[in-house]
Parts: sequence; structure tokens; C-alpha cells
Amino acid sequence: MPVEIELFGQLAPGVKRRQSLTLERPMNAREVAILVGLHPDEIGLIAIDGAQSELEDPVPPDCRLCFFPPVSGG
Amino acid sequence: MKLLRVDMSQLQAHWEPVPAVYERLAGRALIAKLLLEEIPATCDALGPHNKLIITPGLLGGAIVTTAGRLSIGGKSPLTGGVKEANAGGTAGDNLGKLGIKAIVIEGQARRGGLHLLHLKGETAELLPAEDLRGLGTYATSDRLQEKYGAGCTVISIGQAGEYLMTGASIAVTGEKDQRSNHAARGGLGAVMGSKGLKAIVVDKAAGKVIPFADLALFKTASQAFSRKLIDDPKLGLQGSQHLYGTASIVAAVNEIGSLPTRNFSNGNFEGYENLKGEHLREVTLEREGKVGTRCMAGCTIACRNQYVDEAGEPIVATLQYETIALVGSNLGLDDLDKVAVLNHMCNDFGLDTIETGAALGVALEAGLAQFGDFEGILALLKQVGEGTVLGRLLGCGAVTTGRVLGVRRVPATLGQAMPGYDPRSLKGNGVLYATSPQGADHTAGNAFGARKEVNPLAVQGQKELSLRLQIIAAMLDSTGLCLFARPPVIADPQLMVDMINGIYGWGWTKEDLDRFNREVLRNELEFNRRAGITAADYRIPEYMREEPLAPHNAVFDIPDADLDTVFEKL
Repeated sequence: MPVEIELFGQLAPGVKRRQSLTLERPMNAREVAILVGLHPDEIGLIAIDGAQSELEDPVPPDCRLCFFPPVSGG
Repeated sequence: MKLLRVDMSQLQAHWEPVPAVYERLAGRALIAKLLLEEIPATCDALGPHNKLIITPGLLGGAIVTTAGRLSIGGKSPLTGGVKEANAGGTAGDNLGKLGIKAIVIEGQARRGGLHLLHLKGETAELLPAEDLRGLGTYATSDRLQEKYGAGCTVISIGQAGEYLMTGASIAVTGEKDQRSNHAARGGLGAVMGSKGLKAIVVDKAAGKVIPFADLALFKTASQAFSRKLIDDPKLGLQGSQHLYGTASIVAAVNEIGSLPTRNFSNGNFEGYENLKGEHLREVTLEREGKVGTRCMAGCTIACRNQYVDEAGEPIVATLQYETIALVGSNLGLDDLDKVAVLNHMCNDFGLDTIETGAALGVALEAGLAQFGDFEGILALLKQVGEGTVLGRLLGCGAVTTGRVLGVRRVPATLGQAMPGYDPRSLKGNGVLYATSPQGADHTAGNAFGARKEVNPLAVQGQKELSLRLQIIAAMLDSTGLCLFARPPVIADPQLMVDMINGIYGWGWTKEDLDRFNREVLRNELEFNRRAGITAADYRIPEYMREEPLAPHNAVFDIPDADLDTVFEKL
């Protein structure tokens, strides 16, 4: 199951910002985060195909999954 | 504490004891109450019966981190209702230390005269200021600091305020040579201009400290508050706000499809990567600009930057999210250098970048220039400072611009332009824009980033969320706290109660604080009601209910019944 991942801000500085992954099985956002080397507690905001999502939300095939650090309005 | 009344009609200033009705109020809370008590709600906002109120928050002068903001308020010429806008810099702290509850500017100078108010210790003097006429806020601040000392605070208007443009802001200086902290929203610069007041100079309150009712209680609470800010993952030294400034949210707002793009016609901007906070930091550091600086002494968040050009010369400090959204993506510009130049011009003319960015977006939709055409946009903005007919129209904001140029798609509620979140895909902010007595103003209760609570695209839960956030914002704006200080105060409101009790000895409980916050909103809603503002005036523009916004094809579909009942549990 292919997915596009993007990391923003100060999240996991050593990890590649953009990745194309093939998931072996259906996963939720938390599992994908761990897979790419993120600690779920570091994550402030998740977007799956542009929709604000939560760690337990399933990651659909061919989606774009973005992880942001905690952010607040300007 | 004392209150300074400045009668611009008679050119007299006098101190008076704080009236009992205002004793336990400050900042936004004081503005709301004073408007209700002293200003005829239906008065002309640019006439002699309106008053300009300048007031630090309840924590002003107490050296609480992030709590030195200065509130400025009055009846807004833009919304026709109550307005409070606040700014960082040294004014809030200075006035607090001097024991000044508020400066109330009343009446109107005769024959269009221009004056300066100088506060020095116990004296307050009105002086002629014709020599400052036509100067921008940078030159005004430079000249006055040269004359009165680099340590003084200057509160000033630029050309926009002098021309009574309803998009005019009020600039406040900060430490050293810091400029461009703006009480930007609602056209209060025009109110100051209408009084015939170009600037206020406040000499440094050197060696002054405020009295504390219970210093130990205050210290314990304020230190715990600082610690919580430092430990907060958003706000501490490793947090986004510190590292990337308010621009840290550009990518996230774009990703959720809410970034104003080409006059709010799309929620995604293809050039967002060149505008995002990570890019801003990289470019700034590469060019030896500054990141992580402060607008108020002792602020632990330090989200400010100094953006410089390729030669390392400063363009503007600070480049912030709202400006990047409204003057960048909203105008089709994907270059921070260009946004910074426009930002500097707005600051100098004394213009709200949100209102002006929205007005320019409307003008581009009308065909006055192309989206992305920097030179065309620059030429339009220059006209604001020159005071041409077109410039005056743009300087009066998005609604005026739309009306004159025949553009129906104007992103505004209550006469005021929307900030950097399209309400169709961030519906909590739509509820805010459509209900806040402050009009479309994100600082009155921004729902962006509210996680595990309400889906930004859903209808359900938005009105309850907005009410909660609006109540908290009323407290932040009344205490002088920066809106970024919201997380620790939400997590532990007792900290705020203890800081207030430590200063004043009022013996407040959390329930008292909650009542205080709600009363602010009640007073503001009442003033607006008396001013003749109805539910229809608050509504989100019709096109946003009908034209789907990409990428989610979302419309603003919160029912009117929900909007009309947001405050039923206030």
C-alpha cells in the first residue's frame, strides 16, 4: 500500500522530510509515525489528504500523510 | 492607580483617580466597560464623541513574561462596534509601572491641528506636532526618540491614520531600535488621527515598580507560569513558535486547505514552500538576519524575527504569519522578500496588513493588477501613502474597496477583513468571525490547532468550541498576555488567579476570573447592540456559503441558528 509522507518543522531532524513508503499492512497514523522514526508525543498536528486527523485514524492507500509539530495560530 | 484624560478639543490633559466602576478592569475589559459607560454607541467613530482608550492589562508593569501588551480601543470606524487591538513593545509595561490604568483621548483638535502627547513622570503635556505631519511611523518614532531619548516609548500613526483611513493601525516602539509593533485591527489609527493626535511619547519608567499585595504569591505563580511556557512543546526554546515564528503554521494551514489564496479563492497555495516558517528561518539565518527575538522584554517565547535582504540589510521586523498569508498567498506572491517589502510599507504608512492585504486581493480581483504581479501591487500600495483617491480607497479596507470596485467576493464580516484562515475549511474560525463582537479577528478566539476536539471541516461542536476560545481570549486581552500564552492558562487557570491576587489582593477565585472574562464579552455585545449592529451584520459573506473552496470543496455551512445561539450560555 503506497503512501506519501511529509514531515514539517523541527520533527525528527535527521529523518528525510519527504518519503514514499509502501506499507505492508493497513496502519493508522500512529503506526506510520513510529515507522518513520517519530515519537507520537512529538506530533502536534496530522493531516491525511489535507484533512486534520488523529493518531488512531487509518491511513488509506495512496494518501498523503503529513506530520507537524505542535503549532498554534498566529 | 490613576487615569489620564486628554481633551483634544481644549488641548488639556488631567489626571484623575480611577473611577470605582473601572477599578478592577484593564485592557480589553476596561475598553468594553468604558465604551458602554461613556461613549454614545451610535456616535460617529471618527467624530468628537468617540474616545481612544490606551490601557495596559491587569498584569502590566508586573514583569510577567509575555504580559506587557498594550490594549488600544474605541468604537471602530471599520466595524461600527467595539474594538480592542493590542501590541507588544514597551508601552504596556511602561504605563503599568507608572501606575497608569488608562489614557483616554477625548474630543477632537480644532481645525485639523496635529499634536503630540508627552508623558514625563507626573506631567502630561500636549505639544504641536505639525512638523511630524506626513511622516510614516518609522520616521516619526526615530525623530521622537532622538528628541526624547532612545529609552522612551513612542505610540504613533502614519499617513493612513492622518488620512483617516479605516484600515489604519497604531504603531508602538519596543526595546532599543525596535519598531513596528502594531495595534492593527479595526481602524483605530484613524480614530487617533481623527483626534488630531500624531503620537504619544512615554518616558521610560526607570526604577519604578508596581506595589504587590502578596509578593510571594505573585512570584510563585509567575515563575510557575514562565516554567510552563518554557516547557510547552509549542512555545519553549525547541518549539515551533520560537524556531520559526508565527510563520511556523504556513505549511499546516495550507495543508488543511485554509490558507487564503488569490482573494480567498483557494485554500491551497502552490507557492507555500517559499513562504513557510522553515524557509523563513533558513533564509534569515543564511543572510545573517535574526530569529527568536522578542517584542517584549523577558518574553520566553521570542517568536519575532528580523528579515533581511540578500545584502543583509533589514527589510522588516517582524515578518509574521498573518502578513505572509494576506500579503503573500492571498496576492499570489510566493517570495518572502517581496512580502517583506510590502510589510514594511504597510508598517510605515501605519496600516493593518490583514485589512490591506485583503483590500489588495479584492483590487486584484477587480483587475487593477494581476495576482503575483509584485510591481503592480507595489504601485497600488504606494498610492495609500500618497493619499491618492485610489490609495485612500484601498486604505479604507476590503469592504470599501469591494463596494467601489464592484467586487462581490469580499472576505469580511462586520466590515472587517478576515485574517489568514478561510472559514470554509476552518469552520471554528468562521463561527468566530460571524459572532465575535470584534468582527473577523482571529485574536478573539482562534480555533486553528484545536486538536482532538472538533474536526475543522465539521459542523458539530464548532459553536461550543468558539465560545470557549472567545472567553479565554477575552481574558488574555484583558491581562496583557500574548495570545500565544493560551496553553498554560487553559491548563491551569489558578496561575492567572494567583498572579492577579498577588498584585491586587482581590481574593479572586477561578470562578471570579471566569465571570470577569464572560463580562467582557457581555459588555462588548451590549455595546454593539446599542450601536445598531444586528445578526445580519455579523454573517459570513453569502458567496462563502455557496462557492466551494478547493481542495476540500467546502462551503461555510454552520447554520444561522447555531451562530445566533453561540452566546446563549455566556
